Amino acid sequence: MTFTSPTSKPKQHLIITPSSARTTTLVFIALLFLLVFVGAVENWFGIIDKLNANTQLQASLWSFAHADVLLMIVLFLPVVGGFAQLAFGMRAVKWRDRMVMGATFINLALSLLIYPNAIDGGIHLEFPQALGLGLSFTLDMLGYTMVLITNIVWLFVMIFTHVYMGAEKRSTRFYFFMAITYTTVLGAVMAGDLFTMYLFFEIMTVASYLLVVHYQQEDSNRAATTYIFMGLVGGFLILIAMMLLYFEVGDLQFESALGALNQLGAVRYWIIGLLIFGFGVKAGMVPVHIWLPKAHPVAPTPASALLSGIIIKVGAYGILRVATSYYFPNSNIEPDAVWLTIENVGFLVIWAGIITMSVGVFMALQQSHIKRMLAYHSVSQMGYIITGVGIAMYLGDHGAVGYAGAVYHIVNHALFKSLLFLVAGVVYHHTHESDMYKLGGLWKKLPVTTFVALIAALGISGIPLFNGFISKSILHHGIVEAVHEGSWIFTLAEWIFIAVSAGTVASFIKLMYYVFFKKTTETYAQIGFEWDGMNAAMIALAGLIAVIGLAPNFIMNRFLLPQIRSMNFDPHFVEEVLSQLNYFQGSDLLTMLMVVALGTGIFLVGKKFNLFHLHLPRWLSVEYLIVFPWYMLMYRSCKLIDRKRHPLDPDTEKMISTDQSNPTGFLERFQITVNRFNDRYEKPFIQNDALIYVGLIVIILIFAIIRLI
Amino acid sequence: MISQLPIINLVALLLMAIMVPFIKKISFRATLWLGGILLIGVLVSSVFIFIHVANVGDIIYHFGDYESFLGIEFKVDPFASLFTLFVGTLAFIIYVYSSGDKTEGIESPEFSRYYVLYFLMLFAMFGILYSNDLFNTYVFIEIISLTSCAIISIKRKKEPYPAAFRYVLLNEIGSLSFLFGIAMLYMISGHLNIDLLANTIQSGWTTLPINIIFAIVFMTVGLSLKAAIFPFHIWLPDAHASAPSTSSAILSAVVVKIYILVLIKLILKVFGVELFASLGMDTVLLIFGGAGMIMGSIFAMTQKDLKRMLGYSSVSQIGYIVVGLALMSDLGLRSAFFHIISHGLTKAALFLSVGIVIYLKKSRSVKGFEGLGFQIPIAMTVFGIAAFSMIGIPLTSGFIAKWNLGIAVESASQYIFLGVIVISSLLNAMYYLPILFAAFLKDNPEHQEKVSIEKIPAAMLLPIVVLGLSILLIGIYPNLLMQLIDLVIARL
Repeated sequence: MTFTSPTSKPKQHLIITPSSARTTTLVFIALLFLLVFVGAVENWFGIIDKLNANTQLQASLWSFAHADVLLMIVLFLPVVGGFAQLAFGMRAVKWRDRMVMGATFINLALSLLIYPNAIDGGIHLEFPQALGLGLSFTLDMLGYTMVLITNIVWLFVMIFTHVYMGAEKRSTRFYFFMAITYTTVLGAVMAGDLFTMYLFFEIMTVASYLLVVHYQQEDSNRAATTYIFMGLVGGFLILIAMMLLYFEVGDLQFESALGALNQLGAVRYWIIGLLIFGFGVKAGMVPVHIWLPKAHPVAPTPASALLSGIIIKVGAYGILRVATSYYFPNSNIEPDAVWLTIENVGFLVIWAGIITMSVGVFMALQQSHIKRMLAYHSVSQMGYIITGVGIAMYLGDHGAVGYAGAVYHIVNHALFKSLLFLVAGVVYHHTHESDMYKLGGLWKKLPVTTFVALIAALGISGIPLFNGFISKSILHHGIVEAVHEGSWIFTLAEWIFIAVSAGTVASFIKLMYYVFFKKTTETYAQIGFEWDGMNAAMIALAGLIAVIGLAPNFIMNRFLLPQIRSMNFDPHFVEEVLSQLNYFQGSDLLTMLMVVALGTGIFLVGKKFNLFHLHLPRWLSVEYLIVFPWYMLMYRSCKLIDRKRHPLDPDTEKMISTDQSNPTGFLERFQITVNRFNDRYEKPFIQNDALIYVGLIVIILIFAIIRLI
Repeated sequence: MISQLPIINLVALLLMAIMVPFIKKISFRATLWLGGILLIGVLVSSVFIFIHVANVGDIIYHFGDYESFLGIEFKVDPFASLFTLFVGTLAFIIYVYSSGDKTEGIESPEFSRYYVLYFLMLFAMFGILYSNDLFNTYVFIEIISLTSCAIISIKRKKEPYPAAFRYVLLNEIGSLSFLFGIAMLYMISGHLNIDLLANTIQSGWTTLPINIIFAIVFMTVGLSLKAAIFPFHIWLPDAHASAPSTSSAILSAVVVKIYILVLIKLILKVFGVELFASLGMDTVLLIFGGAGMIMGSIFAMTQKDLKRMLGYSSVSQIGYIVVGLALMSDLGLRSAFFHIISHGLTKAALFLSVGIVIYLKKSRSVKGFEGLGFQIPIAMTVFGIAAFSMIGIPLTSGFIAKWNLGIAVESASQYIFLGVIVISSLLNAMYYLPILFAAFLKDNPEHQEKVSIEKIPAAMLLPIVVLGLSILLIGIYPNLLMQLIDLVIARL
């Protein structure tokens, strides 16, 4: 008699491992929570009415949901989780990951609970004395929208990270700084005054640096250095603006400061200009966007997803917040003149946004590296958001369309851009190839990934029934409104807007074609289908994209309109135009059809004539044009200074010469030059000491006597 | 009794300096312990003095009961007592560190000599702050010059000698300029006491204005030379580079600040702000300070030797203090005082943590930092905190200092200096961050092979941890310090 136990059979390849089942369940529960949240907010089946009937339960729930301390828990839970996983991470990877995901999940659940509190007028918490000026936190619906989208995207990216980074080195450090970045992002969007916002913003720059530099290769070091220095420059610009504002206004709370600002001359333009540039560095606004396409390709995929999905949004959020608080009047009954400052600035900001979106999409069409292309699309999409912010400023009390469009696009872009980066990560994970021209035919091997990539591409291209369409058509309405109420010149902006949308369509047709659908001889035999947490997280994000596209009114009515009504926009305009907006009207759909046709045309022409491989010659590149005169100047001055007694030694001369082939960097040349000047000043012993002392004392004496006379 | 405490402090420090060679013969450890206990005693008494002065009133002490115009007078106001507290605290922290760091180039016979000089220097610094007499101040300044010169060149190596020689040369020029200024003032008023001089300055201004101009210019330039204000900084980097790290720390964090405090005393108490400003000296200081803020950082960026780099960084930070002072307003003074204390803590933390690196690696090269974050994590973390404070990242005291300076600069409508602050901060970032990156983000093949981390004495680690924590504490609750500074300014 033979007895075969079930275990002795040849083990079948499990499609679903226990760990992926767990993560899938987590994704499922999170989605369920979101569903319950939507149900409760929309009062499905009269669920809220039933609750209200039971007064005792209702009272206890009410007090729980209105506890202000929830806000602080949501803010600091990630850091606590981060430190906990730091303690665990050395011993057990399994528990570390569970802890991180658990903390993020609880954070999402708690932030859903805050909704009633946020919509009933918001939360305000203060910590006077901290850092001298006192910190304060305010959560209104704008902040809450940001908190919620941050939490949602963060959870799914975290689940993705758990699978993606599982086997990598130094992942504990990655999780730790991810947690700190998480808290600082939440802090920046919850901030009640500019000082608190700056505090979190600055720490966010430093913490996210470690996410970008994670692989510690030569190229990632270089890109991360660009990232942190540009971030610091942006931070310092904000700091100057903040000092000016604090000194002139005396308070940094996010409320109208027009009374004091209108007393000032040009300083009020300086303040808003510095703030826009300072936040614009993070937001990837065009003259200061250069860190973005450098940092994304080298950062680990989850870091790129969060960077593009969330962190750059904080920059846009900052511009929106400071512009609509300090520069908006206290009540809308005041004369039109009070809007003048912000309207003038808004005019420029719209154009900054238009330029940003067109440069971004133009550069994106030239790229072959998937992530770099997505990064340029982030620049371009941030252009949409900045345009929306600009419209909100430019149209004054009718700016609600731009405001809604900008915030809506922040939400949408967070979803589809993080999903696109995750897709790029999955493709790289399986093929170790990032050049889209070398890929192809992946749809057979990665059907789930192809499916979600398609949804994300439809979302970002603004195809109806997907979320990008909604916010883009609101923004389009905004530009049309600007043409009507403002200057005819915005007709040009509208054309560019349509052209950029077409470029986006072309670009994503290109991406989908080259990566997933192109015929190729490569078989990718090593890729086997496996269901894991990455797929679950991506499907969840794709689902959200589709749901928002199908039911756009939920976010509009429950998140954006309450915020807009609490601000000083013209109530007639809001009720009659914005809340009646029909997204699926014929003219919008026709415009979209035109955009798709144009985009397909661009793609076909570009493919046929190889236009996607155009590159500008070296001497036309901006860096070269700016840098070369300095090289020349430094070389000449090094040669000239003290030529007789201490001629330039040949090695140094070789280092600093202006040859085309000389690889010496700007900083090194600068150091050589400075050292040469410094040596001249400091080295010669007694002679120079006497000279400096006597010379300066004589000069100061003469100066003092002249001043006296 | 409490009015005797300042004198007791001075005498105790002086006695300790004299006693060191004798007690050392019995046991060197006992000397160290005794010195430490004595410093704690001085600190405690300084705290008592401060509380007394803040609540009751200034302590005025006449030596030998001579009248003010005849004898030497000590006047302990909140200004003097706050800064003696600052000097005493930092001196104690650095003392504890130095008692652990026996290696770096100082041979054991010199080690006791080092403490003689250290206590003498402390004695002189306390004296300068307490004294209300210009000539007396000059004497104490000379004591500091000579002792600090000896402390710089205490190593038995040839390398520091030129630096020390230059240091003593320039410092003597500075002292003599100061003395020349005193002589000019004595000529018109016949007084050396600060209060009495201040009363006669106005009448002297009508009779002999040229004397006062010369006095102001010579005294300012003399003190600038000693305080290493920008175009006169030439001696500082070399002196820092070759000195032992504890000497660099006390020199950069405390000694240099003393001269600025003397300058503040002169401007506010002797000449008066209006007179000083009417000669355009505030403009001169503003230009020096602003130029120093930027040039110091640029020079620092190009250094290969870490301690020279920190020296240039001091030049740039002194520029911040000078700008605050040159604004000639209460806000400016507030920011200058805050920056003096904040920079004292930060620079001491930097020099001491670099001291640990030198202790470990016996090299001062900027390049040698790769992977150090894993070998000496505590020291490098403190270095990181201090570096962030220098750059002005929030949560550190450096940020508050910058914020205060920015507000002060605006209140004087010198908007251009906002740009200067930002450029200087950015340059600071450009030389501090690469070190941190190298320490924490570069893998060093050496340290992976090494199994155990080399032990650092606790006496060296504890002080820098205290410094790092106090940078954070002041950064998060600056009002602790701000209240004291406001009190000082109100009573100045």
